[in-house]
Amino acid sequence: MSEPKLINLTIEGRAVSVPEGTTILEAAKTAGVLIPHYCYHPGLPIAGVCRMCLVDVEKMPKLAPSCATTVGEGQVVHVYSEKALEARKGVLELLLINHPLDCPICDQAGECELQDYTFQEGRADSRYREPKRFTAAEDFGGDVLYVQNRCILCTRCVRFMDDVAEDTALCVQERGDRAGIGRSPNHGLTHAWASNVVDLCPVGALISKDFLNKARSWDLDRTASICPNCSQGCNITLETRDAVVVRMKPRSNTAVNQYYACDEGRLNYHWINRADRLETPVVAGRAVEWDVAIAAAAAALKGKKARVVASASLSNEALYLLKQVIGATGGSGAFRVMQGAEAPLAGVHDLALRADRAANATGAELLGFSRTDNPLAGIGSGDVLVLAGEECVGLDTTAFAAAAAVIVLGTAAPAQLPSNAILLPVANFAEEEGTFTNLRGRVQRFMQAKAAPGFARPTWSVLADLLAALGSKGNLASAESVFASLAGSEAPFGGMSYDTLALKGQIVTGAGVTA
Amino acid sequence: MAIKVTVCERPISETSYVRATFKGLALTLKHLVDPHKVTVQYPEEKWDIGPRWRGTHRMLTTEDGKAKCVACGLCPTVCPANCIKLVPGEDAEGNRYPLVFDIDEFRCIFCGYCQEVCPEEAIHLGRHYENAEYDRKSFVYDLERLTAQTHPVCEMWDPADPKGE
Repeated sequence: MSEPKLINLTIEGRAVSVPEGTTILEAAKTAGVLIPHYCYHPGLPIAGVCRMCLVDVEKMPKLAPSCATTVGEGQVVHVYSEKALEARKGVLELLLINHPLDCPICDQAGECELQDYTFQEGRADSRYREPKRFTAAEDFGGDVLYVQNRCILCTRCVRFMDDVAEDTALCVQERGDRAGIGRSPNHGLTHAWASNVVDLCPVGALISKDFLNKARSWDLDRTASICPNCSQGCNITLETRDAVVVRMKPRSNTAVNQYYACDEGRLNYHWINRADRLETPVVAGRAVEWDVAIAAAAAALKGKKARVVASASLSNEALYLLKQVIGATGGSGAFRVMQGAEAPLAGVHDLALRADRAANATGAELLGFSRTDNPLAGIGSGDVLVLAGEECVGLDTTAFAAAAAVIVLGTAAPAQLPSNAILLPVANFAEEEGTFTNLRGRVQRFMQAKAAPGFARPTWSVLADLLAALGSKGNLASAESVFASLAGSEAPFGGMSYDTLALKGQIVTGAGVTA
Repeated sequence: MAIKVTVCERPISETSYVRATFKGLALTLKHLVDPHKVTVQYPEEKWDIGPRWRGTHRMLTTEDGKAKCVACGLCPTVCPANCIKLVPGEDAEGNRYPLVFDIDEFRCIFCGYCQEVCPEEAIHLGRHYENAEYDRKSFVYDLERLTAQTHPVCEMWDPADPKGE
């Protein structure tokens, strides 16, 4: 592949070198200048309809839309010249003619580009004296509500459905000031990835019914995370308010999910907030201190084989330490994966809601756990059953009685546990830090978004204590050191560390075979 | 070294208390007969307080008795004392409405920013100062109590001259 030719230009007095064919808007980003824009989105085809990105290019007779103008050698671009500012101010004034001033009740307030750019560059008052157009809100189906009053007709949603989802569900209807976004005849917005139009909408015209009136965007704490709902491993942002997850939004990772997340993934977060959590360690029906519970679990495991039934949604760190427990006792490990329908996003290569509805099935396989439909089968009478994150819903739990002891590391206790079970409460994925391996073998980090309830601790931390009680040595004081130990002893993860993973992740050695 | 003490001899007219006593009694007698009164006979009598007095809060309501608040979240954002707890939600008609609206009047510094920032003119500070309670938790006013109060509210600015010119 030949190197692309570099073009040199000046943007706001800063010299920039970008490959040939780059737009001025993208080139300005490399110079640290964000040119205001509505219709442009890096994941969508260029439309040039909003006229918000007009910039002043020397020697050009008129202002140029920077989203649709490619760079030229020796160009001198002025983003904030008087002429450009005046033009954008005019665009904003026209956009605001029919835009209601309902920011106090609009969910987009605080993350609204119309609000931001009006504050930066718009007029302080309106010269429009006539009554504003009013249209009732329309339920588009799925999770999407359309409020036409707020729409600025940037057509990002139309282009997403046409070119990325390849389902022509939306179109611009009517003309002039009656124009709005409408559903195509006989079409609902039922596509499995339709909710992305809510993220793409620069204003509050397309809003999520799930998030409606729930929180203000500036109240939210945002944490980089990985969607736990399928094996695709989409990068997401977990948004919490007062330690309650209220929204999951996609986070850009061009190697995995571009800018998108599917409806099922983003709406399946309510279980993270469940209230009926296991909060204290329990041994034989009595709440005990952590060290007592760890000692009881170690005593139960001594001289017996650990039969680990793991969840495929545990982190690599937890699964690695479970493997150590198996190694120390000479047992075995198994997991199952819930299945669902696969739903690809047509316009993006290798992006789909996957049939495997668990985040880390690949990691569990790489770490030597065997995949089976009934992980509880074949528990011997002398074995110790270790249930790690697996609640055994829909499984035949007669195996509980067969096992010599049952140790549960979980967020909730499975039903029909024997009375002498040892319960060790652990954090769920939003309450600890760790890594998942997606189906293409990409190891990606997720961060802690909220505190664990009661005395619950991260799974890796509980397992590190259990291993110490079983007599093994090693520095397992943090998730990072557990991962370092994992990278040191497991060949597929060789050479990785939290630093090298960064936020985009790394692919395991020998990947591709699992695809 | 010995200290030398000098004793001042002053005439009896200067050192006698009799003169000062009568002077004091004369002042008392003057106030007894003077019609100008300073003391307000609280609580039977009360001072008028200014139109911009900032006392404990009150939530104004619409005609049907519901709070005007739309749970926009600006008052907890602007509050420098962090004394407003707001959980947004929806009412029976699906309109934005506060599920929880608590103001901790102990934490409040009565700056009036919440009233100034409110786009719905819902939350107001009151022209009111008698707000003693028997326990601390009663100083956390919930939405019901904020809407039930009837005292006059603070005028942040003169309606005839809103810009203060």
